[in-house]
Amino acid sequence: MKSGPFAFVRTTTFRLALVYSVLFALFSAGLLAYLFQATVGAGRAEVKSRLESEFRTLAVAWNTGGPTRLEQSLLERSLVQIRDFTYQFEAADGGIIQGDMPHMPVAPPDTVGDVREVHFEVERPISGSAPEISRIEARITRLGDGSTLLVGIKTDDRVRAVRRVTQAVATAAPIGILLALLGGFFSSRYAARRAEALTKTAEAVMRGDLSQRVDVVGSGDEFDRLAGNLNDMLSRLEKLMETTRHAGDSIAHDLRSPLSRLRNRLEATLRGPIDEVSARQTLEHTVDEVDRVLSTFNAILSLSRVNAGSDQAFEKVNITELAEEMAELFEPACEEASLSFDASIESDLLVKGDMPLLAQAMSNLLDNAVKYTPAGGAIKLSATKRDKRVLVIVEDSGPGIPPEAYERVMRRFVRLDEARTQTGSGLGLALVDAVAELHKGEVILAPGGTDDAPRGLKVTLALPRDR
Amino acid sequence: MRVLVIEDDREHADFIEKVLGEAGHAVETVADGVGGLTRAREEAFDALVVDRMLPEKPGLQLVEEFRNGGGTTPALFLSALSDVDNRVEGLKVGADDYLAKPFAPEELVARVEALGRRQITGEPPVTVLTVGDLEMNLLSRIVMRGETKIDLQPREFKLLEYLMRHAGQTVTRTMLLEKVWGYHFDPQTNVIDVHISRLRAKIDKEFDQQLLQTVRGSGYCLQA
Repeated sequence: MKSGPFAFVRTTTFRLALVYSVLFALFSAGLLAYLFQATVGAGRAEVKSRLESEFRTLAVAWNTGGPTRLEQSLLERSLVQIRDFTYQFEAADGGIIQGDMPHMPVAPPDTVGDVREVHFEVERPISGSAPEISRIEARITRLGDGSTLLVGIKTDDRVRAVRRVTQAVATAAPIGILLALLGGFFSSRYAARRAEALTKTAEAVMRGDLSQRVDVVGSGDEFDRLAGNLNDMLSRLEKLMETTRHAGDSIAHDLRSPLSRLRNRLEATLRGPIDEVSARQTLEHTVDEVDRVLSTFNAILSLSRVNAGSDQAFEKVNITELAEEMAELFEPACEEASLSFDASIESDLLVKGDMPLLAQAMSNLLDNAVKYTPAGGAIKLSATKRDKRVLVIVEDSGPGIPPEAYERVMRRFVRLDEARTQTGSGLGLALVDAVAELHKGEVILAPGGTDDAPRGLKVTLALPRDR
Repeated sequence: MRVLVIEDDREHADFIEKVLGEAGHAVETVADGVGGLTRAREEAFDALVVDRMLPEKPGLQLVEEFRNGGGTTPALFLSALSDVDNRVEGLKVGADDYLAKPFAPEELVARVEALGRRQITGEPPVTVLTVGDLEMNLLSRIVMRGETKIDLQPREFKLLEYLMRHAGQTVTRTMLLEKVWGYHFDPQTNVIDVHISRLRAKIDKEFDQQLLQTVRGSGYCLQA
């Protein structure tokens, strides 16, 4: 995505905000129309019908009692303090018989019996303030003797209410639309900025800087999740790259010594007198040494395969069975090495995984235990479940590993000085670790024995349980 | 045994020829897949040793076509690809065994000889295996040495059965781990040796004639 001050306009969020603003405006207009209809429309109808019935009542008074009766009725009405109606009854010559106003505000019809619907405004002075303007809806007619009658009704409250609602909506709608646009602007700018951060990191990574990470702001939103996943992916990539890079160095370093030993021996043999016996001896040594180099290569290869492996081909593996088989396989070897062997394996331990690799990992752990535990010691293999994990634990009573070296011994080719006397490639634990990682599990090193009397080493291979 | 070796790497082919020749087998070598398939079909060899990466026709395809054409000669794959998946692939197309490069010469000889033994087909299934005065009844699962009954653990029974089926042949430690336990890795410790010595204690200790011999540098051989 190109950056720039208006980059946000192209974001999905901003477009959504725009769509919502339009929808909101339409909704406001609809609401206004409905309110108008509900209050003004209904109010007008009501005003009309009240006016109609009042007018008719007075018409009846005229018909039954003539001017006197009508005047009487109007007089009665004028005594009521609070009323909506307003009246004006003038004689044919324009003289006021009964009325609220100084004169007829609108011209009456000329023909007797005609009724006109009119509306007008009246001012009522209020002391110390602006005069109150009332809007009057009225009917005006000319009666049989030429006099005129006007019956009006104030519509003020209605109109005012409607005006207030209209004003409120008219004020609120633009504010709402503005807020929606602002919200859209900010959230899309936020989105654009965070997407921009992702893009920048990706670009930096593409340029070769694998140490770049996306900021996780802690909002827990989808951007954070994406950033988190991306960072995990980058970490894994970086680790792989680093492993590969380091592996090259380590391989060179680790293979240099057997090869230089080999070279020295060959050189020495060449310098001396070559007889059948010495030549044979040298060649046998050479084959042994080359075999060691080859087996190291094999170990490196299988380790790389595990590191680059996927969980595509994972199947259900019964750890109970596997551990029992391993116990059975190694128990005689322990006895041979004068070690007591104890297995405690729970039933129904299932994981999803790669059986051959898990077997190899367990075999590596037991190999180590047998190799490094002095005669008279004890080895214990246990398999159990805890929470959502299956734990395979190999515990020995050997010399153990100092805790500060725990992390180091998991790395490739790392062999503690004490281990140098034993054969081995230094890849055993690295492979166990890689197998654990492939299974989304982990390898935990700890002293064996009890808290009070720690002894030896306890290696736990923790794997996620199936189901 | 007459063995057909299909391998394009001259030096490897010479090495295999030498090793198998020394073990007393007649070896013929072909350097490409198409020629190899033709030879395998033309003549009845006792075993085929096939490299996986061959010019003209890859080893996998060769063995698959050979089997589809009705060829029954047992075949062993040789390959630098030692992955379990690759191994499974090889066995799936009809090979009988799989050996990863580099290999010890004894390992190759032992495996090729084990293949030759498998060739005997069409006979009624064996129910009793006999080596000298050692007798194993596969149905009743009773093992007798002369008049003495020998009690074996299930795994020891399987181990002895494998050794008896390949009596007179050398079997290597990796072959035992593969065929008896089903694992394809190389334990650093002498786990197999210890199982063998336990078995030996049961079948040989009390007797004058020692049937289970250690073949120095390669493995074991059960022989009367």
